[in-house]
Amino acid sequence: MILVLLIAITAFLLNLFLPWWSIALPGVLFGYLFKQRGWPSFGWGFLALFVVWGGQALYTHFVNDGILSSRIADMLGVGSPFIVILVTGVLGGLVSGLATLSGSLLNVKGKE
Amino acid sequence: MQYLKPLVSFLVLIALIVSLNTQFGTIPPLGKFFDPDAGFWANAEVSLPNSDDFSFDELTGEVSVFFDERRVPHIFADNEYDLYFAQGYVTARDRLFQMEMQTYDAAGRLSENLGERTLSRDMGTRRLGMPYGAEKALEENKKDPEIFASLKAYSDGVNAYISSLSPKDYPVEYKILDFAPEEWTPLKTAQMLKNMTRILAAGSQDDRTSNTAMYFGDEFIEKFFSTKPALNDPIVPPTKEWDFEHIPVQAPDTLFKPASAVELESFQRPEGIGSNNWAISGSKTESGYPILSNDPHLSLTLPSIWYEVQLHAPGLNTYGVSLQGVPGVIIGFNENTAWGTTNTGADVMDWYEIKFRDASKKEYWHDNQWKPTTTRIEEVKVKGQETVVDTVFYTHHGPVTKVESDINEGREPVYHALRWIAHEYSNDLRNFYEFNRAKTYSDFEEAVKYWTAPAQNFVFATNEGDIGVYVSGKFPNKWEYQGRTVSDGTDPLYDWQGWIPTEQNPNIKNPERGFVSSANQESAAPDYPYYLEDDYAPYERGRRINDLLAGMNDITKEDIQEMQMDDYSYHASSILPQLLEWVNRDSLNNDEIEILTAVENWNFYNSSDLRAPGVFRWWWSNLYSGIFNDEYRSTEATLRYPSRDRVIEVMKAEPDFAFFDNIETEKIETREDVVTDTFKETVRELTNFYGEFGDNWNWGIMINNDFDHIAFIPGFGAENVYSSGGSESINATRNSWGPSWRMVVEVGPEVKGYGVYPGGASGNPGSPNYDSMLESWRTGELYELQFLKEPPTEFLYQLRFKGN
Repeated sequence: MILVLLIAITAFLLNLFLPWWSIALPGVLFGYLFKQRGWPSFGWGFLALFVVWGGQALYTHFVNDGILSSRIADMLGVGSPFIVILVTGVLGGLVSGLATLSGSLLNVKGKE
Repeated sequence: MQYLKPLVSFLVLIALIVSLNTQFGTIPPLGKFFDPDAGFWANAEVSLPNSDDFSFDELTGEVSVFFDERRVPHIFADNEYDLYFAQGYVTARDRLFQMEMQTYDAAGRLSENLGERTLSRDMGTRRLGMPYGAEKALEENKKDPEIFASLKAYSDGVNAYISSLSPKDYPVEYKILDFAPEEWTPLKTAQMLKNMTRILAAGSQDDRTSNTAMYFGDEFIEKFFSTKPALNDPIVPPTKEWDFEHIPVQAPDTLFKPASAVELESFQRPEGIGSNNWAISGSKTESGYPILSNDPHLSLTLPSIWYEVQLHAPGLNTYGVSLQGVPGVIIGFNENTAWGTTNTGADVMDWYEIKFRDASKKEYWHDNQWKPTTTRIEEVKVKGQETVVDTVFYTHHGPVTKVESDINEGREPVYHALRWIAHEYSNDLRNFYEFNRAKTYSDFEEAVKYWTAPAQNFVFATNEGDIGVYVSGKFPNKWEYQGRTVSDGTDPLYDWQGWIPTEQNPNIKNPERGFVSSANQESAAPDYPYYLEDDYAPYERGRRINDLLAGMNDITKEDIQEMQMDDYSYHASSILPQLLEWVNRDSLNNDEIEILTAVENWNFYNSSDLRAPGVFRWWWSNLYSGIFNDEYRSTEATLRYPSRDRVIEVMKAEPDFAFFDNIETEKIETREDVVTDTFKETVRELTNFYGEFGDNWNWGIMINNDFDHIAFIPGFGAENVYSSGGSESINATRNSWGPSWRMVVEVGPEVKGYGVYPGGASGNPGSPNYDSMLESWRTGELYELQFLKEPPTEFLYQLRFKGN
């Protein structure tokens, strides 16, 4: 859980100032340091950014009364703004999960 | 081996990031796009904009921009430079994407950002000479220090806004299409005005009229295109006396016949483009002061084509709607006067058949000699592809287009040059600059001298009690019917030999009837000594306006507001009673009789909750096709279709009109047959389309109003806006066209304005303001416009600009 929190907080902060792909950096770093096995690393990394991106999207959706998310849902032809929010979370999650996995695999020596 | 796994994992990660950062076809770069901090989520408006202060080196004084509760900016500046700077800044702030798209389109540069899908549009724009015309207009603007200063100030303001943006602040459309705003220049303003000329004054049916004469003969031309409907009700009423010396013009002895029937690109104006305006003298109003009304009909889009603004500076206080990218107010009022506009259909676009000396196209035959052509290289950049280079040849007429069509297969290629008003040197902006400052009627008369194109019917009202209408624009002095057919490019008699002096343009001030009006119909009665055009809008809207105004007295703003929403169909009233008489009832089944009865009981109003308007319109359209399409289909060329008001006259006057027969059948059909058959066809089609006869046949549904986003992004418009109206009604709402701005102004000691447009100040689809006025527009509500004399104490929020 600490891994999730560290990735989430760091990625959230980096994302404020750096391009979107900066969300991969905490995953690589903390994945390396936490030395977890491959799939759990992916899962924790995924969860962290799924919550950060999905959560921000959900918040924006509600504060904006769903005006923009509904239009984007129409544009993408997905029917519901909640799918747009879900996709946001999944995209962030995929990048971070893969990054955390990569970081953990680098430290394969540490596990042995 | 131990490094293989992490290596693969990193490679996959990098591949994922790169692909989520790349645009594939029309799919935006997904990672960038969904990023909650800088992607589209950043465009979701989560709070009202805040008041803010800015300083810019360019400014010499202080500017305060107050936004009212509808977020209309009221700009108070110490001098004109600062005023137009602020106008550029706030317009860009609300409408940047739209400003850029319109000018990219006008410059033939869409493909730079949109790729191959817009290439043919861009090539067409270049061949029309749009960039060429814009460059000439800018040259002329530069000669006028005040106008050029306003253009410069406006550009500086737009650029000050653009340079304040980081990619996350870009309007959402940039993120979808994945490009960035570029620097604004005065040339872009010139391009924007050329775009209006293309929308409003690029109507030409020259080849179609020539073809129609070739296939159906001169008699057909005479009957449908030369003869005017008896109910025509011109803009300048016949009471006007033309007390000037008409400048003669020499016509050729016989009319040129083009080499072959060819199809030029279609430049037909869609019906729906058009507008209403009128001004009523104080003698007919309750207040004793004039009232002015205007509703320009254009393609209804989101964001709206208009942007409401008040401009206040020493010597200037004006309010109205502006076009994004153009300094000043286009339609509006000031403390003393008001003005409105409708489009004039005058023929200012002609095609000339060109005879080249040889395939090099270096010389062409004109006035009994070979003359040199010039060339202009058009480079169209295409996103993701190589630049397309097109060499366009220019004659003294204008740019040359090669016509290729099935009809010409195996024949010599035919070339046509385009003579178009948009290629003239012009300083049209001066016209609005002076309108904004006009105090008396004579100020308007001076201002319109600068107006070249697109030709407009401007109406005016002043607090001195004057009203008037001025058909404004630069008109070639033509011989009768010159340019309605394809012209001979070798004969100087087909050239535009001169111009009608502006003061001889059709115009009238304070007519006896106590009002002036225009609805795109014929400019003047047939005794007007110059030829302008043979193809104006049908008389229906114009006659309805004049009928109503003639019968009204003690007129108030509320009366005019109601009149703007009038949806009476002159068209239906002029033919439906006859159709009901001609239809053969014995051959109708019970369902058809029920529907016919509904139509019979109809009051001719295009109201959303009635079923009859849709049935009638569908029937009329089938009937029109039933009469003409069989003959038109039998020719290999594209022909010109007659106007419905004239067709109705012929239908009534000539029971044996040959076109009633369907030439594709053995039987000889009569008028009764075609009327009855098309009624049955209509019922069948409507039942297929809308189900059994019921509320789903309501006109509000059939009217089919979709407000598309300006770049046609799905979900960013408004679909199926249920509404009354019809293209032949004053409320000319129909099929995504209609009143793009409704305005009523009461001039007088205290001018009062009312208005609405279907949209909102903000161009951001993520803002509740984006379509906030749509419902008021739909129901015919008008907002009282806050025309301020002093900076207000109450406002939604405020931006302040000052120099350093």
